[in-house]
Amino acid sequence: MDNLPHVPLTGADCFLRAFDDEIRRTAAASHVSQLVLRLGPGFDVERLRKLIDQVARAQPIVRAPISRRFGVGVPVYRLAAASRCAPPPIRVIDVDGPPVPDAQLPDRFAGLLNEPLSARRGHLLRFDVVRYAGGALGTDLAVSWLHMLFDGSGSETFVDWLDACFRGASRPEELPCPDELAPPARSDETLRERGDRAMVWQRWLDGFGAQRPHSLAGPLRRTRQALHYARLRLPLEQSARCIEAAKQRAGFLTPTLFYLAAAIRAHHAVFRARGVDPGSYVVPLAVNLRPKGAAKAMFRTHVSLVWFQALPKQVEDFDALIGALKQQRLAAIKAGQVENAVAAMDFARFAPSRLYAHMARRIFRGELCSFFFAFTGDFLPGLDHFLGAEIRDGFHVAPVPPSPGSCVAVSVRGGRLAATHAYQAGVFSERELEIFRAQLQSDLQG
Amino acid sequence: MPAASLEELTALVFGILRNEILSTGSDFSTRSNLVEAGLDSLAVTQLLLSIEESTGIWLDESLLTPEHLDCAETLAALVHQRIAEG
Repeated sequence: MDNLPHVPLTGADCFLRAFDDEIRRTAAASHVSQLVLRLGPGFDVERLRKLIDQVARAQPIVRAPISRRFGVGVPVYRLAAASRCAPPPIRVIDVDGPPVPDAQLPDRFAGLLNEPLSARRGHLLRFDVVRYAGGALGTDLAVSWLHMLFDGSGSETFVDWLDACFRGASRPEELPCPDELAPPARSDETLRERGDRAMVWQRWLDGFGAQRPHSLAGPLRRTRQALHYARLRLPLEQSARCIEAAKQRAGFLTPTLFYLAAAIRAHHAVFRARGVDPGSYVVPLAVNLRPKGAAKAMFRTHVSLVWFQALPKQVEDFDALIGALKQQRLAAIKAGQVENAVAAMDFARFAPSRLYAHMARRIFRGELCSFFFAFTGDFLPGLDHFLGAEIRDGFHVAPVPPSPGSCVAVSVRGGRLAATHAYQAGVFSERELEIFRAQLQSDLQG
Repeated sequence: MPAASLEELTALVFGILRNEILSTGSDFSTRSNLVEAGLDSLAVTQLLLSIEESTGIWLDESLLTPEHLDCAETLAALVHQRIAEG
């Protein structure tokens, strides 16, 4: 590690860093992502403390300040400065009585999304533990992190690896993907070729501007971030039907598009109820870019972005919408937009965060997109226990800036499909949340 | 592409997978499981594009089943069938 004192952020990291900076400036919060585990009895919080101390010593990236060297160039994790920063904190709350029902869990954990972390100070990660009857009746654990430290896949690998360290199957010094902190390999394309790619990507996005989107929150404005979330979790049998329907209707390789279409229609139902024109629905979808053989890379985000656009008239027919999304996905991959996005995001790493966020919002006049969406597939497949306690449930809460103010993350745990809807307070009325949920549920249940 | 034999198509698919799509070890063969080797939805689409470039045959993703993606041989068999169908 001593020979790697500075680890560059990936292009996707810098995209997220730009929005973290924007949220810090305009909404007094951070771009914080969350992974929640609902655990049975037997969770060993003292062992977690010890483990995180060991991890922080062995893997300084978890508390490394992020900044540009001498104020210029690509932002880096300053590993050499990490030892001056505190290890990730673990806060414990003891509660009498049994665990709260699923529906009340967001009341306990959603506020953590609005508690700032600080990239500049190396405050990148924290743990919040709620013990019921001293842990005898169960424990809820929220892992919160600045989104640029892990992507969804990386955060699951991190949790899996922590448990492997707990069981003695791995060690804090031993990363699942040993060379993951090495700087990204240089592309064999010339600078000019990379520049051309970035320009193609930019023109592609500009094309969406002809029918620009309106998010439910409206364009960026200065407001305090106040995220809340709600979960829609289908019973086992309905989940099985839904998962099968997603494969049948969107293709077994791309069930994501079924869930994305459902999320678009849920937002459309709210727009319709408001009687407001959504313009078009423009949504970015993260694509996992880990090189084959590096599937277990934990730290930093390893994604590209594919953008989708749907017109309101396409949204009414669910299958036609899925078909349109499939066509767009194929066309984008054919046109090399996955690689083009990487080139563009790599160039943008050199731009100041403020300029980066401004450029991203310029195309749609202050809007970034219609909403955020993620499908992360099976949640922690194969992991039944975490630090000695049975995992009863688990899910991601993906963050979203106050504009667009709405994000849907879909995952499956133990065969049950769940959609977590994170939203900025005030963007949806209670009635609109009911409409949103009813439409989403209806489409998922077929 | 002139009518290719199943063996030629298998070699073609295997070559694309090994050289362009997957980072595989020396134990990767035409019968290796593709999903276990790291093939995901993006990689499948990139593979189909490379097959189209070499053969002129576009395999619609909706034609694919998990069985077709079992290994290079099963995928090549599908391409062979599509070519035979014209």
